[in-house]
Amino acid sequence: MSLWAGLAAFAGLGWSHATEEEARELLASIVLTSGEEQAQAVEALGGHGDSIIGTVIEAWRVGGISSYTPPGGTGKIALLKEPEGYTDIATGEKVVPQGDPVTIRPSRALRKTLKKVADLLDLASPDPAARIAAAEKLGLSQNPDYLPVLRDRLEMQTNPKVRRAFDEAVNISLLANGTPQEQLAAVTALGNLRSYPARDLIEALRVKNAEAADDDGAAPESRAHAAAMQAAAVEALGQIDGHQKVVEVYGTLFRGLSLGSVLLLVAYGLAITFGLMGVINMAHGEFIAIGGYTVYLVQGWFATTFGEGTAGYETYFLWALPASFLVAAFFGIILERGVIRFLYKRPLESLLATWGISMILQQAFRLHFGAANVAVASPQWLSSSFEVAGVTMSYNRLFVIGFALFVIVATWLLLTRTSWGLHVRATMQNRQMASSLGVRSARVNMLTFAFGSGLAGLAGAFISQIGNVGPSMGQTYIVDSFMVVVIGGVGNLAGAALSSLGIGMVDQSLQPLLGPVMGKITVLLAIILFLQFKPGGLFPARSRSLDD
Amino acid sequence: MTAAAALALGVGSAPAEDTVKVGVLHSLSGTMAISETSLRDILLFTFDEINAKGGVLGKKIEPVVVDGASDWPLFAEKAEQLLVQDKVAVTFGCWTSVSRKSVLPVYEKYNGLLFYPVQYEGEEMSKNIFYTAEAVNQQAIPAVDFLLEEGIKKFYLIGTDYVYPQTTNLVLFEYLLSKGIPVENIGGGLRKDASGKVISAGNYTPFGHSDFQQIVADIKKFSASGDAAVINTINGDANVPFFKEFAASGLTSEDCPVVSFSISEDEFRALPAKDLVGHLGCWTYFMSIDSPANKKFIADFQAWLNKTEVPGIVKEKRVTCSPMVLSHNGVYIWKAAVEKAGSFDVDKVREALLGGVSFEGPGGKVTTQKNHHLTKNVYIGETLENGQFSIIKSFDNVVGEPFLKGTFGKK
Repeated sequence: MSLWAGLAAFAGLGWSHATEEEARELLASIVLTSGEEQAQAVEALGGHGDSIIGTVIEAWRVGGISSYTPPGGTGKIALLKEPEGYTDIATGEKVVPQGDPVTIRPSRALRKTLKKVADLLDLASPDPAARIAAAEKLGLSQNPDYLPVLRDRLEMQTNPKVRRAFDEAVNISLLANGTPQEQLAAVTALGNLRSYPARDLIEALRVKNAEAADDDGAAPESRAHAAAMQAAAVEALGQIDGHQKVVEVYGTLFRGLSLGSVLLLVAYGLAITFGLMGVINMAHGEFIAIGGYTVYLVQGWFATTFGEGTAGYETYFLWALPASFLVAAFFGIILERGVIRFLYKRPLESLLATWGISMILQQAFRLHFGAANVAVASPQWLSSSFEVAGVTMSYNRLFVIGFALFVIVATWLLLTRTSWGLHVRATMQNRQMASSLGVRSARVNMLTFAFGSGLAGLAGAFISQIGNVGPSMGQTYIVDSFMVVVIGGVGNLAGAALSSLGIGMVDQSLQPLLGPVMGKITVLLAIILFLQFKPGGLFPARSRSLDD
Repeated sequence: MTAAAALALGVGSAPAEDTVKVGVLHSLSGTMAISETSLRDILLFTFDEINAKGGVLGKKIEPVVVDGASDWPLFAEKAEQLLVQDKVAVTFGCWTSVSRKSVLPVYEKYNGLLFYPVQYEGEEMSKNIFYTAEAVNQQAIPAVDFLLEEGIKKFYLIGTDYVYPQTTNLVLFEYLLSKGIPVENIGGGLRKDASGKVISAGNYTPFGHSDFQQIVADIKKFSASGDAAVINTINGDANVPFFKEFAASGLTSEDCPVVSFSISEDEFRALPAKDLVGHLGCWTYFMSIDSPANKKFIADFQAWLNKTEVPGIVKEKRVTCSPMVLSHNGVYIWKAAVEKAGSFDVDKVREALLGGVSFEGPGGKVTTQKNHHLTKNVYIGETLENGQFSIIKSFDNVVGEPFLKGTFGKK
C-alpha cells in the first residue's frame, strides 16, 4: 500500500471506522519513509484520533522508535520501544531483536510537526492536564486552521479549568484571526480571564491601536474602533497585571516556604547535636553528604535490579529515605563512640576534632566515589508540577514542605511524649545529675547524636533531588545550618524551625527585587545586625547555672 | 639556527640535547580540577602521539606539568617558574579567564608563549597568547543566529556572576538589539550606570548557587507567551539545581529551549543528562562528529588511556569535548609553526603562527589568524539522554573575532 493511497483510504473511512490494523500499517510506512512526503503525511495524521497514533507519535518524538531488519525477513520493520520490550508497529506483535535496533531520530523540524500533531490529538485526550496544555499551545500559535477545532472542542468541555483554557485559546486566536468586533470582545474576555500568556499580544494591540486612533488620515469609524480597542486593551492589561501581582505574592510565599523547609531539614540535625547536646559538630555537612551518597547507591542498586524507568525503579527514593537515615545514624554512632564521647566537656577540642573528621570524610568520598559529583536522577513522580491559581507548585517542593513538617512533628513527639525523650532532655540539661538519677546517660548521648546525624542524612537524601551530590556538598550547607541554629537560639528546636522559615521567606522576597547576588548579601547583613541586637537568637536559652 | 634554539631553550642537562621542554599549567586540585585534569590528560596523550612519530624538529617533547591548584595568584607564580626556571618553549594551560588574566603579565614580561583552549569572553589580545578557544562569535553568536532562525523572539539571559558570563551577555545584548529584538523581549534584567548606559544584562547568581526557584518562576512567566529561549552561562555544578528546577516546573525543551555554553560532554560525567535532553549546546567540536579523523582521535585517546601509567588518571567512562580538542589542536598548531619557522624561538614561532598555520583536527580544519585566534567550524547540538550531542547545524570556517563590543550597528 503506498503512503498516499493508505492515507486517503484512512481519511475516507474516518478514524472511528478505521481498524487498528490499518492505522498500524500506515504508521509503520510513514515512520520508514523520509523527506517532504513524510512531513506532510505526519501533518495529515493530526485529524485522526486512534490511540495508537498518539502513542507512536509521542514515542517517535522522544526517540522511542527504531528500525530493524529481521534476519531472513523481507525488509526493514519499525519497532516501538516499550519498557517490557519491542513491538512491531505494523502488526502489534512482540519482537525480540537480535542486536540493537537503530533508533529513528526525527529531525528538529519534523519533531516540531510531531509535537503539533501530538497537541492536536491531545485536544481529545482523556487527561484534562494534557487537554489544557494542548489548547494553550494551539491558541498561542494563532494559526487560523486550529480556530474551528478549538471552538468545537470548547463546547464539549465540562471541567471548568479545561473550559477556561479552551476559552483562553479561542480568544487568543481571535486576537489575530477575528473580525474587528470579535477582536474587541476577545480583548475584554482575555482581561476577564486574567490571561498572562495574552499579555504581550494585547500590549502590541494597544500600541498599534493607539497609533491608529491618532491617525488623522483614517476613516472616522475605524478611528473610533481603534480608540475602543485601545481602551479595552488598557483595561485588560490592568486586570492582568493586577492579578499577576497577587500571583507573585503567593508564589513568593510558596517558594519561601519551600526554601525554609530545605533549610530546616538541613539544620534540624545540627539543632540537636549542637543545640541540644552542645557538640560543635563541623562534620554535620558530611553527614548530609552521606545521605546523598546513600541515595546514589540505592538508585544504582534499583537501576540494576529493576532496570531504569520501570515502576519498581521509580520507587527507589522511598526506600532511599529510611536507608539514608539509618546509614548516617550508623556513622553518627561510630563518631560518637570513637571521638565525641571523650570531648563533651571540651567544646573547643570537639570543634577541632569534628573539623578534622569532616576533612577525612571528604577525602574518603573522593577516594571511593571520585572527585566529580555523582548524578542522581529524580523519579518521574517527583519531577513534575501543577498549577494553583497561576502559582506553579512542583511535587518535589511540596514533598519537602510536607517532609519538613513531618520531621518537626516526629521530633517533637519523640522528645516530649516518650520516656526516651524525657531522658534526652534530662541528660542535655545536666549530664551528671541525670546519670546519678539512674539515666544511662552514655547511651542517651549516643542515640541522640545518632538521631541528629540521621536527620542530616535525610536532608542529604532530599538535596539529591534538587541539587548536587558530591564530596564537598556538605560545605555548601554547613554555614546555612549554623546560621539557622544560631538565629533560632541555641538549644531551641522551635526557634530553629522559625528561623529557617524566616530566612527562607526573606531570601525569596528579596531576590526578585535585588537579584540573587545582592539578595544573599542583604540577608547575611540582616543576620549580622540581628545578632548584634539579639545575640542569643530568637529564643535565647535561659539557664540557672552560674557560668552562663 | 640550532644554536639559537639551544640558547632560547637554555639547554643545560645532557638529556635535554634531544628533548624540548613544554609547560602544562592546569589546576590539578581545587574546584577546577574536575574540568582541568581532562586537559592535562589530553595534552600528555598528544605529546606521546607526537613523540612516537619522531617529535618536533627531531626533538622529543618533555612535558613539565605544574599544578595551578585553582588558586589564581599561584597560576602566576607557576608560570614564572615554567618560564624562568624550566625555560619551556611553550605552555598549554589555564581554564578560567581569571587565571589567564593572572598569568598574562608574566608571559608578556618574559616573552613566553601560551596556548589558551577554553571558550572565553574576548576583549583581549596579548602578543604572547594564542587563543585556540572559542571567541564569543564562535559560540554565543552562532547559537543566537540558530535560535532566531528557529523563530525564537524572546531571550532570557542567565549566568554565574563573573567576567565571562557578564561580558558575553553584554555582547549578546548588543547583538540581539542589532537583530531587531526589542529590549522588553530580552529577559533577566538590565543594570544601567548613572548615564543610562547598560552595564549588565541578564540575571546572575553566585558560584555554587543552589536555589533557582525564583529564577525559574521568572523564566516561566517570561516564556508564557511562547517563542522564548534561555541563554545559559551558568558555570559548573550550579547547573544541576537549575535544570532540576526547570524540569520540575513543567518547562520543556520544546516550550523554551536552553542553550548552554559551559556544558560539554565532559561535564555530563557529573550531570544527570536526563534533565537536559533536547536542550542545546554550541561548541567547535562534539564527540559525535562523524568523521574518520574524529573516530581515530577518540580510539587513539582510549588506547592511550588504557596503557598509560601516569598516576591518578581516570580510565573509565572517558569522553572527549571541545576544550580537550582545542588543547590537542593547540599542540599540533604549535608543532606546525615550529617546523615552519625551523626554530623553537618564541618570536620566530609567533611570526609563523601569524602567517597562518593550519591543522586538520578532529573537529575539522583550524587555521591561525593575524589576531591570535583561530578560524574553525562551529556546531550546534542537541543533548541526548546518554550525555552526547546530536549535531543539528554547523557553521563552516567561522573567523574568531575577539573585539565585538560596540561593533553591531543598531537596526
